[in-house]
Amino acid sequence: MKLVVNGADVDVSDGLSVAQLLVERKVRMPDMVSVELNETILQRPEFETTRLKESDRVELLYFMGGGAGARP
Amino acid sequence: VSLPEPLGEVEAPIFQTAAFGYATAEEMADVFAGRLPGHVYTRLSNPTTLALERRLTEAEKGVGTLATASGMAAIAAALLGLLRPGDEILAAKGIFGGTVSFLRNVLGRLTIRAVFVDASDTAEVAASFTSKTRAIFVETIGNPRMDVPDLSALGALAREHNLPLIVDSTVTTPELVRPGDHGAALVVHSTSKFINGHGTAIGGALVDTGRFDWSRGPFEDVAALAKKAGTYAFLAHLRSVIARDLGACPAPNSSFLMLQGLDTLPVRMKVHVDNAQALAQALADDKRVKAVTYPGLADSPDCERAKRQFGGRAGAILTLRLGSSARSFAFINALKSARRVANLGETRTLVIHPASTIFREYGPDDRLALGVPDDLVRVSVGLEPFATILDDFQQALAVSQKES
Repeated sequence: MKLVVNGADVDVSDGLSVAQLLVERKVRMPDMVSVELNETILQRPEFETTRLKESDRVELLYFMGGGAGARP
Repeated sequence: VSLPEPLGEVEAPIFQTAAFGYATAEEMADVFAGRLPGHVYTRLSNPTTLALERRLTEAEKGVGTLATASGMAAIAAALLGLLRPGDEILAAKGIFGGTVSFLRNVLGRLTIRAVFVDASDTAEVAASFTSKTRAIFVETIGNPRMDVPDLSALGALAREHNLPLIVDSTVTTPELVRPGDHGAALVVHSTSKFINGHGTAIGGALVDTGRFDWSRGPFEDVAALAKKAGTYAFLAHLRSVIARDLGACPAPNSSFLMLQGLDTLPVRMKVHVDNAQALAQALADDKRVKAVTYPGLADSPDCERAKRQFGGRAGAILTLRLGSSARSFAFINALKSARRVANLGETRTLVIHPASTIFREYGPDDRLALGVPDDLVRVSVGLEPFATILDDFQQALAVSQKES
């Protein structure tokens, strides 16, 4: 299925959970990432339970320090 | 089989570097935008410090940690991140003099008012909320007042008012209590004390326990950030604005020393507490000592609460009174093994006369209100064989009796 991850079209396995997406996309420092799905921030326990579907928009965000990305 | 760390190293490497380079401008832009993880500049984050932050998060069972250059820097980041001019904070009487000074002098200049309350009296705290109150700040054991607030009761009060309870757990460490279990939103530590344990570096930390819902709190900028950062909102607020711009970052080498301290914290705390309990009992039984305050003593009003809250272990700090400041000075001067030091939580037994040092800037009446009479001696009980500590104290008490 196709998703939009951080603004880019990507092709991933069907029916992935958010946690599985982090693994499949080899996301760096997965324990530090915040995930926004269709403009709603997910709580960490939801990574395992949330299934992704076609055309979902996923934003992977890090609030590590450099990031002005965290500004509202 | 993959190794847990890049080279299978057992101890955290010290990344003694100011900054981190990137292959391309695009990658660096992604890191700055928070789309890629990475370290940029040690003022903002550093891998050694991140290793410490992860360990503290795990120890407190929190959602994340910000390590800082000192305990005061952690408190400054927390309170400057929450409070605005006109706000009030309820703070426990008899907390660390440096914190009192920060509340009065730094926050006071910004017209943020600290209202000091007897935190071990939950009813007094409950009666002190106003429409301007925005946070509650207590220490797990007041230093040097040695009082023990009922953390669960304060946690419930804070929840009722939808305000964060901030708990300084420096003297207890995660080994004795996890304030988040009692409803604290934020836990602050001076890691220079028991966590470092050897008096080799200055550091601090602020742990977000995840117990406070920042999206519904009265802090507009943090609530707005919660839409992007969820439970991580307050830490994101600190990392992206407050702590980043205050600049009080830990040195990577200091973070390494704190990590090393954490490895031995459980065994050290056990000996610290056992020695303190035995010393407090011996001093309480000694007629030359006017008063001993230690929450582990059976006749302490806080004993039952301390034992319940801290797993039967009442910490490693005690105070004694000798009747006059001349006697207290003579006692302190006569100690041979214990050191005269403005620190606590080191391997060695440390003593200080709070009225003439940490609380010097306050007048006598003010000091009394803060729980610091002029004959008070604070003791941080160390890891020496107990007989060494007791012999030293007994010979110094004998010397102190020559003064009136």
